[in-house]
Amino acid sequence: MKIRFKNNPCYVRLSVFSIMLSLISSCGVSNLVIEGSFPTPNINKIPLSMAVYYDEALKEFSYMEYSETGREEINVESGESHINLFNAVLPAMFEEVIEIEGLDDPKVLEADAIFTPVIEEFQLALPGKTKLEVYEVWIKYNMRIVDSSGASLADWVVTSYGKTPTETFRSVEDGINEAAVVALRDLASSFSLNFTRIPEVQDWLNNL
Amino acid sequence: MLASCTSTTVDEFRQGETGIESDESVVILGRRQASDFETKSDFVECVGDRMSQGENAISIIPEREFVDAMFPWFEPRTAPLRASDLEQLLAEDVVAQKMNEFGIRYMVWVEGFTETTGRTGSISCTVGPGGGGCFGFGTWEDDANFDARVWDVNSLRNVGTINTDATGQSYLPALVVPIPLIARVETNACNRLAAQLKDFVNGE
Repeated sequence: MKIRFKNNPCYVRLSVFSIMLSLISSCGVSNLVIEGSFPTPNINKIPLSMAVYYDEALKEFSYMEYSETGREEINVESGESHINLFNAVLPAMFEEVIEIEGLDDPKVLEADAIFTPVIEEFQLALPGKTKLEVYEVWIKYNMRIVDSSGASLADWVVTSYGKTPTETFRSVEDGINEAAVVALRDLASSFSLNFTRIPEVQDWLNNL
Repeated sequence: MLASCTSTTVDEFRQGETGIESDESVVILGRRQASDFETKSDFVECVGDRMSQGENAISIIPEREFVDAMFPWFEPRTAPLRASDLEQLLAEDVVAQKMNEFGIRYMVWVEGFTETTGRTGSISCTVGPGGGGCFGFGTWEDDANFDARVWDVNSLRNVGTINTDATGQSYLPALVVPIPLIARVETNACNRLAAQLKDFVNGE
Protein backbone atom coordinates (compact mmCIF):
# COMPACT_ATOMS: atom_id res chain seq x y z
CA MET A 1 0.00 0.00 0.00
CA LYS A 2 1.35 3.40 -0.88
CA ILE A 3 0.17 6.57 0.78
CA ARG A 4 1.30 9.84 -0.76
CA PHE A 5 0.98 13.24 0.90
CA LYS A 6 1.46 16.07 -1.58
CA ASN A 7 2.83 19.57 -0.99
CA ASN A 8 1.54 20.00 2.51
CA PRO A 9 1.81 18.10 5.82
CA CYS A 10 -1.88 18.95 6.28
CA TYR A 11 -2.55 16.05 3.95
CA VAL A 12 -1.35 13.74 6.74
CA ARG A 13 -4.14 15.00 8.99
CA LEU A 14 -6.61 15.07 6.12
CA SER A 15 -5.87 11.47 5.25
CA VAL A 16 -6.13 10.34 8.88
CA PHE A 17 -9.42 12.25 9.06
CA SER A 18 -10.66 10.56 5.88
CA ILE A 19 -9.75 7.12 7.22
CA MET A 20 -11.51 7.88 10.51
CA LEU A 21 -14.50 9.25 8.62
CA SER A 22 -14.80 6.09 6.59
CA LEU A 23 -14.52 4.05 9.79
CA ILE A 24 -17.29 6.13 11.36
CA SER A 25 -19.49 5.76 8.29
CA SER A 26 -18.97 2.02 8.34
CA CYS A 27 -20.03 1.96 11.99
CA GLY A 28 -23.19 4.08 11.48
CA VAL A 29 -24.34 6.95 13.66
CA SER A 30 -22.08 7.99 16.51
CA ASN A 31 -24.02 8.44 19.75
CA LEU A 32 -22.84 11.00 22.28
CA VAL A 33 -24.31 11.50 25.75
CA ILE A 34 -23.30 14.89 27.14
CA GLU A 35 -21.58 14.50 30.49
CA GLY A 36 -20.34 17.18 32.82
CA SER A 37 -20.52 18.47 36.35
CA PHE A 38 -22.04 21.81 37.19
CA PRO A 39 -21.08 23.85 40.23
CA THR A 40 -23.67 25.40 42.52
CA PRO A 41 -24.04 29.13 41.77
CA ASN A 42 -22.88 31.62 44.42
CA ILE A 43 -25.92 33.89 44.40
CA ASN A 44 -28.45 35.20 46.89
CA LYS A 45 -31.53 33.01 47.22
CA ILE A 46 -34.97 34.33 46.36
CA PRO A 47 -37.38 33.55 49.24
CA LEU A 48 -39.78 31.53 47.10
CA SER A 49 -40.94 27.97 46.82
CA MET A 50 -40.59 26.98 43.15
CA ALA A 51 -41.98 23.81 41.63
CA VAL A 52 -40.13 22.57 38.56
CA TYR A 53 -41.52 20.39 35.84
CA TYR A 54 -39.20 18.65 33.39
CA ASP A 55 -41.31 17.32 30.54
CA GLU A 56 -40.40 14.20 28.56
CA ALA A 57 -39.15 16.31 25.62
CA LEU A 58 -36.52 17.89 27.89
CA LYS A 59 -35.61 14.69 29.72
CA GLU A 60 -35.02 12.85 26.47
CA PHE A 61 -33.76 15.72 24.36
CA SER A 62 -31.40 14.73 21.57
CA TYR A 63 -30.06 16.43 18.48
CA MET A 64 -28.99 14.73 15.26
CA GLU A 65 -26.12 16.26 13.30
CA TYR A 66 -26.19 15.42 9.60
CA SER A 67 -23.26 15.25 7.21
CA GLU A 68 -23.13 17.52 4.16
CA THR A 69 -24.58 14.65 2.12
CA GLY A 70 -27.55 14.38 4.48
CA ARG A 71 -26.39 11.22 6.24
CA GLU A 72 -27.03 10.91 9.99
CA GLU A 73 -23.66 11.56 11.62
CA ILE A 74 -23.74 12.23 15.38
CA ASN A 75 -26.64 11.92 17.79
CA VAL A 76 -26.13 14.28 20.75
CA GLU A 77 -28.16 13.36 23.84
CA SER A 78 -28.25 16.22 26.34
CA GLY A 79 -31.53 15.67 28.24
CA GLU A 80 -29.95 14.20 31.37
CA SER A 81 -27.25 16.87 31.55
CA HIS A 82 -29.94 19.57 31.36
CA ILE A 83 -31.76 18.00 34.31
CA ASN A 84 -28.47 17.78 36.26
CA LEU A 85 -27.80 21.44 35.48
CA PHE A 86 -31.20 22.68 36.63
CA ASN A 87 -30.98 20.49 39.73
CA ALA A 88 -27.69 22.25 40.60
CA VAL A 89 -28.88 25.77 39.76
CA LEU A 90 -32.45 25.98 41.06
CA PRO A 91 -31.76 25.07 44.74
CA ALA A 92 -29.18 27.89 44.77
CA MET A 93 -31.72 30.36 43.35
CA PHE A 94 -34.80 29.58 45.42
CA GLU A 95 -35.45 28.90 49.10
CA GLU A 96 -37.32 25.70 48.21
CA VAL A 97 -37.47 23.65 45.01
CA ILE A 98 -40.08 20.92 44.46
CA GLU A 99 -39.80 18.62 41.45
CA ILE A 100 -43.23 17.67 40.14
CA GLU A 101 -44.33 14.88 37.80
CA GLY A 102 -46.91 16.96 35.95
CA LEU A 103 -48.73 20.27 36.04
CA ASP A 104 -51.62 18.52 37.84
CA ASP A 105 -49.31 17.14 40.57
CA PRO A 106 -50.89 17.98 44.00
CA LYS A 107 -47.46 19.20 45.19
CA VAL A 108 -47.89 22.36 43.06
CA LEU A 109 -50.20 23.72 45.77
CA GLU A 110 -47.18 23.91 48.12
CA ALA A 111 -45.27 26.11 45.65
CA ASP A 112 -45.46 29.81 44.78
CA ALA A 113 -45.08 29.05 41.08
CA ILE A 114 -44.18 26.36 38.56
CA PHE A 115 -41.11 26.64 36.36
CA THR A 116 -40.95 24.74 33.05
CA PRO A 117 -37.83 24.91 30.88
CA VAL A 118 -38.22 23.97 27.21
CA ILE A 119 -35.47 23.54 24.61
CA GLU A 120 -36.58 25.22 21.38
CA GLU A 121 -33.46 24.86 19.26
CA PHE A 122 -30.06 23.19 19.36
CA GLN A 123 -27.27 23.93 16.89
CA LEU A 124 -23.83 22.48 16.46
CA ALA A 125 -20.86 23.81 14.47
CA LEU A 126 -17.98 21.47 13.80
CA PRO A 127 -14.46 22.58 12.74
CA GLY A 128 -14.62 20.31 9.69
CA LYS A 129 -17.55 22.34 8.37
CA THR A 130 -16.88 25.89 9.62
CA LYS A 131 -13.09 25.76 9.00
CA LEU A 132 -12.66 27.43 12.40
CA GLU A 133 -10.56 25.69 15.02
CA VAL A 134 -13.40 25.56 17.53
CA TYR A 135 -16.39 23.35 18.31
CA GLU A 136 -19.51 25.45 18.96
CA VAL A 137 -22.89 24.74 20.51
CA TRP A 138 -25.93 27.07 20.58
CA ILE A 139 -29.07 26.28 22.54
CA LYS A 140 -32.27 28.32 22.60
CA TYR A 141 -34.66 27.84 25.52
CA ASN A 142 -38.13 28.98 26.38
CA MET A 143 -38.48 29.51 30.12
CA ARG A 144 -42.02 29.50 31.46
CA ILE A 145 -43.41 30.31 34.89
CA VAL A 146 -47.05 29.67 35.67
CA ASP A 147 -49.06 29.80 38.88
CA SER A 148 -50.75 26.78 40.45
CA SER A 149 -53.86 27.35 38.32
CA GLY A 150 -51.78 27.29 35.14
CA ALA A 151 -51.98 31.04 34.40
CA SER A 152 -48.82 32.42 32.81
CA LEU A 153 -46.66 34.63 35.04
CA ALA A 154 -43.60 34.93 32.82
CA ASP A 155 -42.44 33.53 29.51
CA TRP A 156 -39.07 34.44 28.03
CA VAL A 157 -36.29 33.19 25.78
CA VAL A 158 -32.74 32.42 26.89
CA THR A 159 -29.95 31.54 24.47
CA SER A 160 -26.71 29.91 25.52
CA TYR A 161 -23.45 29.45 23.67
CA GLY A 162 -20.39 27.35 24.26
CA LYS A 163 -17.20 26.76 22.35
CA THR A 164 -14.02 24.82 22.84
CA PRO A 165 -10.83 24.79 20.75
CA THR A 166 -9.67 21.86 18.69
CA GLU A 167 -6.74 20.03 20.23
CA THR A 168 -4.42 17.32 19.06
CA PHE A 169 -5.73 13.89 20.07
CA ARG A 170 -9.14 15.32 21.08
CA SER A 171 -11.94 13.37 19.44
CA VAL A 172 -14.93 15.05 17.77
CA GLU A 173 -17.15 13.64 20.53
CA ASP A 174 -14.96 15.12 23.27
CA GLY A 175 -14.95 18.47 21.47
CA ILE A 176 -18.74 18.54 21.22
CA ASN A 177 -19.10 17.43 24.84
CA GLU A 178 -16.79 20.21 26.07
CA ALA A 179 -18.59 22.87 23.99
CA ALA A 180 -21.99 21.63 25.23
CA VAL A 181 -20.85 21.77 28.86
CA VAL A 182 -19.65 25.36 28.32
CA ALA A 183 -23.05 26.18 26.75
CA LEU A 184 -24.86 24.63 29.73
CA ARG A 185 -22.73 26.65 32.15
CA ASP A 186 -23.54 29.73 30.07
CA LEU A 187 -27.23 28.94 30.45
CA ALA A 188 -26.83 28.54 34.21
CA SER A 189 -24.98 31.84 34.53
CA SER A 190 -27.34 33.94 32.41
CA PHE A 191 -30.46 32.30 33.86
CA SER A 192 -29.41 32.68 37.49
CA LEU A 193 -28.00 36.21 37.17
CA ASN A 194 -30.72 37.64 34.92
CA PHE A 195 -33.78 35.96 36.42
CA THR A 196 -34.87 38.92 38.53
CA ARG A 197 -34.16 41.34 35.64
CA ILE A 198 -36.84 39.81 33.38
CA PRO A 199 -39.64 42.45 33.32
CA GLU A 200 -42.44 39.87 33.72
CA VAL A 201 -40.60 38.22 36.62
CA GLN A 202 -40.04 41.62 38.22
CA ASP A 203 -43.77 42.42 37.95
CA TRP A 204 -44.66 39.06 39.45
CA LEU A 205 -42.18 39.41 42.33
CA ASN A 206 -43.39 42.94 43.06
CA ASN A 207 -46.97 41.72 43.31
CA LEU A 208 -46.25 38.89 45.72
CA MET B 1 11.98 14.39 19.16
CA LEU B 2 14.49 17.21 18.62
CA ALA B 3 13.75 20.90 19.18
CA SER B 4 14.50 23.63 16.66
CA CYS B 5 15.16 27.31 17.40
CA THR B 6 12.58 29.68 18.79
CA SER B 7 12.78 33.46 19.09
CA THR B 8 10.86 35.03 21.99
CA THR B 9 10.18 38.70 22.71
CA VAL B 10 8.69 39.92 25.99
CA ASP B 11 7.33 43.48 26.44
CA GLU B 12 6.30 44.84 29.80
CA PHE B 13 4.14 47.90 30.39
CA ARG B 14 3.92 48.85 34.05
CA GLN B 15 1.11 51.12 35.23
CA GLY B 16 1.40 50.77 39.00
CA GLU B 17 3.45 49.55 41.97
CA THR B 18 3.27 45.84 42.76
CA GLY B 19 4.27 43.50 45.58
CA ILE B 20 2.79 40.43 47.23
CA GLU B 21 2.71 39.08 50.80
CA SER B 22 3.27 35.42 51.63
CA ASP B 23 -0.40 34.90 52.55
CA GLU B 24 -1.66 36.39 49.29
CA SER B 25 -2.20 34.57 46.04
CA VAL B 26 -2.64 35.11 42.32
CA VAL B 27 -5.22 33.65 39.96
CA ILE B 28 -4.47 33.32 36.26
CA LEU B 29 -7.50 33.26 33.98
CA GLY B 30 -7.86 32.76 30.23
CA ARG B 31 -9.94 35.19 28.19
CA ARG B 32 -12.60 33.32 26.18
CA GLN B 33 -14.75 36.09 24.74
CA ALA B 34 -13.35 36.12 21.18
CA SER B 35 -15.55 34.49 18.57
CA ASP B 36 -12.90 32.76 16.47
CA PHE B 37 -10.40 31.55 19.08
CA GLU B 38 -10.04 31.05 22.78
CA THR B 39 -7.10 31.03 25.13
CA LYS B 40 -6.25 27.42 25.82
CA SER B 41 -6.55 26.30 29.42
CA ASP B 42 -3.34 24.25 29.00
CA PHE B 43 -1.38 27.45 28.40
CA VAL B 44 -2.97 29.17 31.41
CA GLU B 45 -2.16 26.13 33.54
CA CYS B 46 1.42 26.10 32.24
CA VAL B 47 1.97 29.76 33.24
CA GLY B 48 0.51 29.08 36.69
CA ASP B 49 2.68 26.00 37.22
CA ARG B 50 5.87 27.88 36.28
CA MET B 51 5.01 30.81 38.57
CA SER B 52 4.46 28.54 41.53
CA GLN B 53 7.91 26.94 41.17
CA GLY B 54 11.50 28.00 41.86
CA GLU B 55 12.85 31.09 43.55
CA ASN B 56 10.25 33.67 44.71
CA ALA B 57 7.48 31.17 43.95
CA ILE B 58 3.98 32.61 44.16
CA SER B 59 0.85 30.92 45.44
CA ILE B 60 -1.33 30.32 42.38
CA ILE B 61 -5.01 29.40 42.53
CA PRO B 62 -5.82 26.94 39.69
CA GLU B 63 -8.14 28.47 37.09
CA ARG B 64 -10.75 25.67 37.14
CA GLU B 65 -10.94 25.66 40.95
CA PHE B 66 -11.39 29.45 41.02
CA VAL B 67 -13.96 29.64 38.21
CA ASP B 68 -16.03 26.80 39.74
CA ALA B 69 -15.89 28.33 43.22
CA MET B 70 -16.93 31.73 41.82
CA PHE B 71 -19.62 30.32 39.53
CA PRO B 72 -21.42 32.01 37.74
CA TRP B 73 -19.42 35.28 37.94
CA PHE B 74 -16.36 34.31 35.86
CA GLU B 75 -17.97 32.53 32.91
CA PRO B 76 -17.06 33.78 29.38
CA ARG B 77 -20.12 36.04 29.18
CA THR B 78 -20.18 37.23 32.78
CA ALA B 79 -16.48 37.75 33.61
CA PRO B 80 -15.40 41.36 34.18
CA LEU B 81 -13.80 42.92 31.11
CA ARG B 82 -12.16 45.91 32.83
CA ALA B 83 -10.44 46.27 36.18
CA SER B 84 -13.03 48.92 37.09
CA ASP B 85 -15.77 46.25 36.74
CA LEU B 86 -14.26 44.49 39.75
CA GLU B 87 -15.71 47.12 42.09
CA GLN B 88 -19.24 46.27 41.02
CA LEU B 89 -18.48 42.56 41.22
CA LEU B 90 -16.98 42.78 44.70
CA ALA B 91 -20.09 44.62 45.87
CA GLU B 92 -21.74 41.18 45.77
CA ASP B 93 -21.19 39.73 49.25
CA VAL B 94 -20.87 36.16 48.00
CA VAL B 95 -18.14 37.17 45.53
CA ALA B 96 -16.20 39.30 48.02
CA GLN B 97 -16.31 36.50 50.59
CA LYS B 98 -14.94 33.90 48.15
CA MET B 99 -12.19 36.27 47.00
CA ASN B 100 -11.16 36.79 50.63
CA GLU B 101 -11.16 33.05 51.27
CA PHE B 102 -8.77 32.55 48.33
CA GLY B 103 -6.64 35.52 49.43
CA ILE B 104 -6.49 36.83 45.87
CA ARG B 105 -4.22 39.88 45.49
CA TYR B 106 -3.74 39.84 41.72
CA MET B 107 -5.92 38.62 38.91
CA VAL B 108 -4.03 37.94 35.67
CA TRP B 109 -6.01 37.75 32.42
CA VAL B 110 -4.18 35.87 29.67
CA GLU B 111 -5.37 36.20 26.09
CA GLY B 112 -3.80 34.84 22.93
CA PHE B 113 -3.23 31.86 20.71
CA THR B 114 -0.66 30.06 18.59
CA GLU B 115 -0.96 30.35 14.83
CA THR B 116 0.63 28.00 12.33
CA THR B 117 1.52 29.45 8.94
CA GLY B 118 3.66 28.71 5.89
CA ARG B 119 3.14 24.98 5.69
CA THR B 120 5.18 23.68 2.77
CA GLY B 121 6.83 20.45 1.71
CA SER B 122 5.93 16.96 0.69
CA ILE B 123 6.25 13.64 2.46
CA SER B 124 5.59 10.29 0.85
CA CYS B 125 5.11 7.14 2.93
CA THR B 126 5.02 3.57 1.66
CA VAL B 127 3.94 0.43 3.51
CA GLY B 128 4.54 -3.02 2.03
CA PRO B 129 4.91 -6.67 3.08
CA GLY B 130 8.65 -6.17 3.56
CA GLY B 131 8.32 -3.04 5.69
CA GLY B 132 7.67 0.63 5.16
CA GLY B 133 9.19 4.06 5.20
CA CYS B 134 8.76 7.73 4.45
CA PHE B 135 10.68 10.15 2.28
CA GLY B 136 10.37 13.89 1.92
CA PHE B 137 10.50 17.14 3.82
CA GLY B 138 7.92 19.39 5.48
CA THR B 139 8.22 22.70 7.26
CA TRP B 140 5.93 25.24 8.96
CA GLU B 141 6.12 28.29 11.21
CA ASP B 142 4.42 28.70 14.60
CA ASP B 143 3.74 32.09 16.17
CA ALA B 144 2.52 32.24 19.77
CA ASN B 145 1.30 35.65 20.90
CA PHE B 146 -0.08 36.13 24.40
CA ASP B 147 -1.03 39.20 26.46
CA ALA B 148 -1.26 39.11 30.25
CA ARG B 149 -3.10 41.94 32.01
CA VAL B 150 -2.52 42.19 35.74
CA TRP B 151 -5.32 43.56 37.94
CA ASP B 152 -4.68 44.54 41.53
CA VAL B 153 -7.68 43.36 43.52
CA ASN B 154 -6.84 45.76 46.41
CA SER B 155 -6.71 48.94 44.33
CA LEU B 156 -9.15 47.65 41.64
CA ARG B 157 -6.72 48.88 38.95
CA ASN B 158 -4.90 47.45 35.98
CA VAL B 159 -1.27 47.62 37.14
CA GLY B 160 0.41 46.38 33.99
CA THR B 161 0.44 44.36 30.79
CA ILE B 162 3.01 41.86 29.60
CA ASN B 163 3.13 40.67 26.01
CA THR B 164 5.01 37.59 24.85
CA ASP B 165 5.60 36.77 21.23
CA ALA B 166 7.43 33.56 20.32
CA THR B 167 8.09 32.39 16.77
CA GLY B 168 9.84 29.33 15.46
CA GLN B 169 10.25 27.25 12.35
CA SER B 170 9.62 23.52 12.60
CA TYR B 171 11.04 20.95 10.19
CA LEU B 172 10.03 17.39 9.40
CA PRO B 173 12.65 15.63 7.27
CA ALA B 174 11.85 12.00 6.51
CA LEU B 175 14.45 9.53 5.34
CA VAL B 176 12.79 6.15 6.01
CA VAL B 177 11.88 7.45 9.46
CA PRO B 178 10.43 10.99 9.96
CA ILE B 179 12.66 13.08 12.25
CA PRO B 180 10.59 15.93 13.71
CA LEU B 181 12.50 19.10 14.65
CA ILE B 182 9.74 20.96 16.44
CA ALA B 183 9.97 24.60 17.55
CA ARG B 184 8.45 24.63 21.04
CA VAL B 185 7.04 28.14 20.72
CA GLU B 186 4.14 27.76 23.13
CA THR B 187 6.33 26.23 25.84
CA ASN B 188 8.88 29.02 25.42
CA ALA B 189 6.15 31.67 25.47
CA CYS B 190 4.79 30.09 28.66
CA ASN B 191 8.22 29.97 30.37
CA ARG B 192 9.12 33.56 29.49
CA LEU B 193 5.70 34.97 30.34
CA ALA B 194 5.66 33.14 33.69
CA ALA B 195 9.16 34.36 34.59
CA GLN B 196 8.26 37.96 33.71
CA LEU B 197 4.94 37.79 35.54
CA LYS B 198 6.61 36.38 38.64
CA ASP B 199 9.08 39.29 38.73
CA PHE B 200 6.31 41.77 37.97
CA VAL B 201 4.04 40.58 40.76
CA ASN B 202 6.95 40.47 43.22
CA GLY B 203 7.61 44.12 42.35
CA GLU B 204 11.04 43.48 40.82
